[in-house]
Amino acid sequence: MAEYDLTRTIIPYLDRHLAFPLLTHLHESGLFAPEQVAATQYELAKGTNMVDYIVSLYEQLNPVQRSQMFAAKREKAVSTNEQLQQEAQAVLDVIENPDVAQALRQDKNQNLTYLKDNYGLTLEQITALYNFGKFQYTYGNYSGAADYLYHFRVLSTDVDLNTSAHWGKLASDILTGKWDVALEELNTLREALDTRASAAPLAAAAHTEPLSTLHSRTWLVHWSLFVYFNHPAGRTLLLETFLAPAYLNAIQSASPWVLRYVAVAAVLSRKAQTTPGATAPTSSRVRHAIKEVVKIVQLEEYQYSDPVTRFLKELYVEFDFEAAQRELQLAERAVANDFFLSEFREEFLDNARYLISEAYCRIHQRIDIADLSARLNLSPEEGEKWIVNLIRDTRMAADAKIDLEKNVIEINRPALPIYQSVIEKTRGLSIRTQALGAALSRTGQQQAQQVQEQPAVVEGAR
Amino acid sequence: MSRFFRQAADSDSESSESEESLLSSDEDAPAAKAAAPAKPAMSRFLRTNNDSDSSSSEEESEEDGDSDEDEGPKEVKPKSRFLHDSDEEESDEDVRRVPKSARDKRLEEMEATGKSMDNALKINDWIAISNEYDKLTRLVQRQQNVAEPIPPFYIRTLSSLETSLNTALAKEKEAKKKMNASNARALTAMKQKVRKTVKEYEKEIKQYNDDPEAFEREWAALATPQVQARPEAVRRPAAGEGEDDDDFTQVGKGGKATQYTAEGIYKNLQAIQEARGKKNTDRTDQIRILERLLEVAVTTYQRIRVLLALVSSRFDYNASIASYMPIEMWSSAQREIDTLIGILTENVAYSVQEVTEDYDDLVERSPEEEKDGIVRIRGSIISFVDRLDDEFTRSLQNLDPHGTEYVDRLKDEKGLYCTICRAEVLYEKKQLPEPLARVVMRRLEHIYSKPDAVLNALESAVAASELTISLSLASQPSPSALINALCVHLYKSGNSVLRTRAMLSHIYHHAFHNDFYTARDMLLMSHLQETVYSMDVGTQILYNRAVVQLGLCAFRSGLIKEAQAILQDIFTTQRVKELLAQGVHQQRFQTLTPEQEKAEKQRQLPFHMHINTELLEAAFLVSSMLVEIPLLASIDSEEQRRKAISKPFRRLLDFADRQVFTGPPESTRDHIMQASKALQNGQWEQCRNLIQEIKIWSLMPEATSVKEMLAKRIQEEGLRTYLFTFAAHYKTLSLALLQRTFSLDHRVVNSIVSRMIWSEELPASLDQSAGVIVFHRVELTRPQQLAQILAEKVGAMVEQNEKALDFRLGGSAGWGDRADGTKGDKRGEQTQERRGRGERRGGASTRGGRGARFAQGLGSQMTKAR
Repeated sequence: MAEYDLTRTIIPYLDRHLAFPLLTHLHESGLFAPEQVAATQYELAKGTNMVDYIVSLYEQLNPVQRSQMFAAKREKAVSTNEQLQQEAQAVLDVIENPDVAQALRQDKNQNLTYLKDNYGLTLEQITALYNFGKFQYTYGNYSGAADYLYHFRVLSTDVDLNTSAHWGKLASDILTGKWDVALEELNTLREALDTRASAAPLAAAAHTEPLSTLHSRTWLVHWSLFVYFNHPAGRTLLLETFLAPAYLNAIQSASPWVLRYVAVAAVLSRKAQTTPGATAPTSSRVRHAIKEVVKIVQLEEYQYSDPVTRFLKELYVEFDFEAAQRELQLAERAVANDFFLSEFREEFLDNARYLISEAYCRIHQRIDIADLSARLNLSPEEGEKWIVNLIRDTRMAADAKIDLEKNVIEINRPALPIYQSVIEKTRGLSIRTQALGAALSRTGQQQAQQVQEQPAVVEGAR
Repeated sequence: MSRFFRQAADSDSESSESEESLLSSDEDAPAAKAAAPAKPAMSRFLRTNNDSDSSSSEEESEEDGDSDEDEGPKEVKPKSRFLHDSDEEESDEDVRRVPKSARDKRLEEMEATGKSMDNALKINDWIAISNEYDKLTRLVQRQQNVAEPIPPFYIRTLSSLETSLNTALAKEKEAKKKMNASNARALTAMKQKVRKTVKEYEKEIKQYNDDPEAFEREWAALATPQVQARPEAVRRPAAGEGEDDDDFTQVGKGGKATQYTAEGIYKNLQAIQEARGKKNTDRTDQIRILERLLEVAVTTYQRIRVLLALVSSRFDYNASIASYMPIEMWSSAQREIDTLIGILTENVAYSVQEVTEDYDDLVERSPEEEKDGIVRIRGSIISFVDRLDDEFTRSLQNLDPHGTEYVDRLKDEKGLYCTICRAEVLYEKKQLPEPLARVVMRRLEHIYSKPDAVLNALESAVAASELTISLSLASQPSPSALINALCVHLYKSGNSVLRTRAMLSHIYHHAFHNDFYTARDMLLMSHLQETVYSMDVGTQILYNRAVVQLGLCAFRSGLIKEAQAILQDIFTTQRVKELLAQGVHQQRFQTLTPEQEKAEKQRQLPFHMHINTELLEAAFLVSSMLVEIPLLASIDSEEQRRKAISKPFRRLLDFADRQVFTGPPESTRDHIMQASKALQNGQWEQCRNLIQEIKIWSLMPEATSVKEMLAKRIQEEGLRTYLFTFAAHYKTLSLALLQRTFSLDHRVVNSIVSRMIWSEELPASLDQSAGVIVFHRVELTRPQQLAQILAEKVGAMVEQNEKALDFRLGGSAGWGDRADGTKGDKRGEQTQERRGRGERRGGASTRGGRGARFAQGLGSQMTKAR
């Protein structure tokens, strides 16, 4: 199963610290030799200030020797820490003063002048806050780092450092596991990036701008995986974000392997569409996620394919149920081994089965239960139970009947009445026409033709 | 010589005039006298007539004189004799020693007329005076035409004439009877003439009257420098001409070849430079001289200078745009450019630049004397290389592509390629990014459309010439990597035109090597389709070529729908050949002007770069067939039938349908049309055979695999068509039967049928246990049908309105629910493009918007360019 492991492709797009959980997961999953994983972990950790962790890793690797070379590093880290803390403390003292907290306003410049006038705080001191936060992050005090970076962001006006602090805060939140906060952070960061990207054509250095936007979007896509697969409403949000044109492009052109996560999220989101009212109303993007994802999977097939995407392709492009079933088996294991997806194995399997049976039922008129069970990787008894549940749960109840004598399901799908298809076709027209009219009146250009449009639509709809 | 003729003509006209006056004046003696001096001038032409003529006039004058006046004849006779003699002498002189300076001659003539006027004055012969005066005026006028000052002599004569006229008039009044009528008439006429002239020269006369000597001196001062300057000026061009003429012929004979020495090289060069571009310069001779000069050139500087001049005069050799440079000339030019580049590469101290400081052309220069130790010479290697390449293309355009000559000519490409590489090495060494980019582009243009074998051959030639070029096949793992390296070099260069061209060449290359996805992604990501309208025609042609090659690539890779969509754009224009610059379009309604035709011809690609249009058409029509026929079968109402995907194919199919009698297929089109009909009837085997019989497939490198692919596609599409066409006649249909009929695997049949059911193309479902398809066909009643059509139309109308409003508000402004694409607009477009393709694959009939627009855009631009 190692060939389906994406850790290696994903790590370059992650922060050093974010990679540790992935490696730990690899360690547990046992796909690779533990020594290799440990060595990688050690290499990775060497760049950080988490001295104790390094030492433990080192000892794990070389149980015999006891190295002294880390002592110096520890010394240094501690001293830097103290020094930075002192610098930052001055600012913190001021900020934590309730008077100040009340006096602070939205306008950052105003705040700065206020602080400067009343408490003698300079920009350099505020930057010390950033440095300290960053340092704390490097030695693993993520919650502390998040705090400091938050304060820094409130005060600082430096755009670049602010963005950097954004990323840092996001990473800290992810690593501390505060998913709600992280999600919020993620959204603000995304907005910041997008506004920057849209402002980019105005900037003089427009030439390099699209590339850096692409880079930061790719990074964001990878980082957000942590959030989306841990936050309860993450999957729909993932689809919402990743299927937006800008991010879809980033995925298609820079990181097609993320399609696996999009595909899994699309499969998982099946529940959201079948149980309406359970969550907030989903957008059309999420509702048609599977269709959309299948298209993209098909398009990017030449670049990337893995069991999950192949499963979708076999099911919805080739309609080869046997192949789909085979791929599903593989996909199940791939999902189970994936760091992000492992928790969703059961759910994924469930939804995938549902998708198969839905497609199967739509195409067939009479289905052998045994056959369907085989398609779903279930024993006949389980299959029967599954099918009964399926029929009960969904709208198929009216059409499908089980004939136990012959051991088949009969599905009767009356053709869609004509009037219904006509209604379907003309449904959105009046709203669209109204939008037209609104747009027209907004520009002040009244066109009689479009206004007259509306009665015609109504007639068509009736 | 011309002076001679002019004079002869003048005297001729004069004499005829005097003859006229002779006739009019009733054979007056004075008239004859006046005629006498003129005659000899004429006699130069008609010497034989001379004697009798003059003598007869003399006789006449004698008679007249006798009858009229007593004194007259005696004086007249010697006069005329004298005049005659002097004139004869003069003419003799003229003949013997040619240049007596036109001016002097005129002066003499004037004086002579003045004298005869004086004489006539003495005898009070006003008719003669009048004649002589006219002659004098003409002479003076001519003098003025040559922009010489009026000689004082004339002024003097004028003033004396005026006074004598006045006295004569006064006398006339006193003694009226003395003059005869004609004489009196001449006198009055004379009076008026003189008055007019005097008025004209009033100022001069006044000056003269004030101080005759001063006036004369002034004139002399004015005239002398000219007198001296003129002969020189005259002599120099004459000498120059003579030298040119003489030397050229002499060199031709080999007589004076030693004349060219290293010392005189710059003078010779200058002379040639000056003669360059003149109408009657003999270019062959110039080239010969320069070749000689090259032989005697000693120093590096001299050699560079001579080579520069020699190469440009070789390119000058052929003045007309229509024809091409002679091939020998081209090869020597190529050799010389090679030498030149060689010299420049070896001697770093010399550099040829387009812009230099002014320097003296006639002085030898060496690196030691220059400030920074580098001799900069005016010239441009890059333009030489460009020109050489262009001339090569032009010769290929003009040669018959099926002759052996063409093939021979193509062999020269190796040398040319080496030259280009040499230039690349030179510019690399000198670190001049701008010309380097141009040279790399030239190089790329030679290899981008070539198969690997040809590319290897070209590169091995470069390797054999022992060039140390940084980007070569030796340093790159594969030909594609080489192309990639060249393109990357150009992407990095600042020139956006070159970047675009490099990008297109790269796309072409990828497509040529069946790398469809890379080529497509590059094309889409470059956003060229948005900007290509504003490019020059050459780039647009390259764009068309790249797109067409991409279509062929899709076809070869079995991506039928993509191929159809891509190729359709260019085929709907019906100007494939013109758009690919592979032939001039025949216009039905308008004829091209010669210039337009010439421009068009110049754009044509040489034959070996052509994309075979017949193959292209076959690929297009076959993919259209595979897309269209099932679609045609799936729609049943006449209304929908009109929405054709591929108009050209539909047109051909309709035409084939109308044929009363169809014979066995001959052309590619016949084959495809009959195959389409067979496919429509579900006879997939016949269809397959017809398609595979097409001979043009053999031009594709992967003919067999393509044929196999086509056969498979035909089976599948045949199945689809069959289901669409005959579904109405069945209630159930056994899958096994279908499987047998179309000899397809049961999985494939299952998959196709399932897909059709899933996408609601086929109102049916599968009965798994019985292994049959069960059709649920619902017959629509008329009102139901109409209601559906109405609903669709309303939908289309709203869509139209939305588009119209979009257009009105200016595309990107985005209103209503389209506002989500403000971020990363550009990429958004790309997705749309991709999705567009995806939809096409899904069977939706979206017409390729942008590409189609482009092809027509190019058309209009080409017409604009004309």
